[in-house]
Amino acid sequence: MAALAEWHHVTKDYHGKGVFDLCLQLEEGETLGFLGPNGAGKTTTIRQLMGFIRPDHGTVRLFGQDPFVSCAVQTRVGYLPGETAFPPDMTGGQFLHFMARYRGANCLARAEQLAEYFELDMGGKLKRMSKGTKQKVAIVNAFMHDPQLYVLDEPTSGLDPLMQNRFVELVRAEQKRGKTILLSSHMFEEVEKTCQRTAIIREGHIVAVRDMQALSNSRRKLFTVELDTSAQAEQCAAVFSGAQVSGVHVTFPVTARQADAAVKKLAQFCVKDISVRSQTLEELFLHFYEEEEA
Amino acid sequence: MNTALFRYDMRGHGKTGVIFLAVMSLYGGMITAMFDPKLGESLEMMAQSMPQLFAAFGMLEAGKTLTQFLANYLYGFLYIVFPMVFTVLASVRLVARWIDSGAAAYLLAAPVGKRRIAITQMAALAVVPFVCTAWAFGFCVLAAQVMFPGQLDVSAFLRLNVGLLCLQLMFAGVCFLASCVFHDARMAAGVGAGICTTFVLVQMLSEVSDTFNWLRYCTPLSLFDQQALLAGEGGAAGCAALLAAGVVTATAGCIVFCKKDISV
Repeated sequence: MAALAEWHHVTKDYHGKGVFDLCLQLEEGETLGFLGPNGAGKTTTIRQLMGFIRPDHGTVRLFGQDPFVSCAVQTRVGYLPGETAFPPDMTGGQFLHFMARYRGANCLARAEQLAEYFELDMGGKLKRMSKGTKQKVAIVNAFMHDPQLYVLDEPTSGLDPLMQNRFVELVRAEQKRGKTILLSSHMFEEVEKTCQRTAIIREGHIVAVRDMQALSNSRRKLFTVELDTSAQAEQCAAVFSGAQVSGVHVTFPVTARQADAAVKKLAQFCVKDISVRSQTLEELFLHFYEEEEA
Repeated sequence: MNTALFRYDMRGHGKTGVIFLAVMSLYGGMITAMFDPKLGESLEMMAQSMPQLFAAFGMLEAGKTLTQFLANYLYGFLYIVFPMVFTVLASVRLVARWIDSGAAAYLLAAPVGKRRIAITQMAALAVVPFVCTAWAFGFCVLAAQVMFPGQLDVSAFLRLNVGLLCLQLMFAGVCFLASCVFHDARMAAGVGAGICTTFVLVQMLSEVSDTFNWLRYCTPLSLFDQQALLAGEGGAAGCAALLAAGVVTATAGCIVFCKKDISV
């Protein structure tokens, strides 16, 4: 396997924000998730790959070329921007026609197929479209010329759950066709469904690059249990490691494989209410730091 | 040049362009109709009563001939300012607004290089001065032919319009540079319009009285010497200088666009 995209010790400093000494490789045929909270540097990393901005230090390579200088490689790239801003006064259809002509690509048949797949009405003015509809136009634009590499910056933002699922299906179909995909997101679930490998970025640094399955397994659920009295709550907290007590509520983390044991342990208490939520990204990252420090 | 982008740019010009050309035609028709050797005398009397004001707009000399009259009343102020405003608006639309809105991402994420994008937009902006001056020339020649057949010295009038074209191309270069330098559309418009307006105001002030006459060396508008162009004596060097200024600033704009980070 060869690296289609490569960041080599890349630094882009925006007065303390940005990315710092970032190293990352995107191998041919893989789907790499790029996960991080808002403002972590995902978009800055992607803009450098697309050649919009030049790194202060380090080098970026796209198909072995410097993307800031060479535009020819862009024929093989489908890019979905993180922000959906379109030129004004065009309908969705006009925009896609314009982009096809602008790119010099004969891809309108595929554009129409994709529009149909996403139930996109191409006749509406772009500026009057809802966020979700605009996002569909952006998706069709990224996929219509059948590129080899997809660079997708938060691709499902604004889409309803049905369309999110269709998008996941589309990405999986492209994976099967051997395409390479970089998918950035601040939502774990979005990346979890499609990616084999995930890079985690925080405050401009790559914290970890992990196999998606391992990452899913290490992500814990947080159980919050309501008990009768605070005394009982204290008792309950003693049973679970990492538990925190707040009045009659106890919150403790449970990994996927421990769910059964946790429920059985809970059976000895009089549980009035129970709620379960997944760890947020920040909580997951804390877990990584703890791992690294240990 | 990218034809798809150029065609989109031309459609963008269309809406504002029609309005500007209509206003230019309105004034062109009105001023031509106003020409009357007798009226000229009364206009001259008016000009004598408030010479500074008339001088500021380049209208002190009423002009004995129709060609002189048009040169003074249209090419002293109106036909300088209208195309200039159009150019300012177009320059912002062609570059800064793409970047400001973030839509430039689509232009950049395609196999079209930054230099090609910049050259396409520069060419699309240069269309504005060409169309405006061609329209001004054509419309006035037609109006003069209809109202005062044979009275317009067409070759002198053509020289005047070539001069105007060079002046407008200088404005376009300055505005293009401003639009490439500033990411913010309002900032780009403000700086482009600010510089061009300053040039015009300084020119107007320098005409008012001898006290301010030295100001004519502070504005490139002095290089557009209507009288010299009409007479066919000199004036060409000034035009060449204006044209050169336009080419230099536009090239600088292209270089800035290719080198700078475009965070979209």
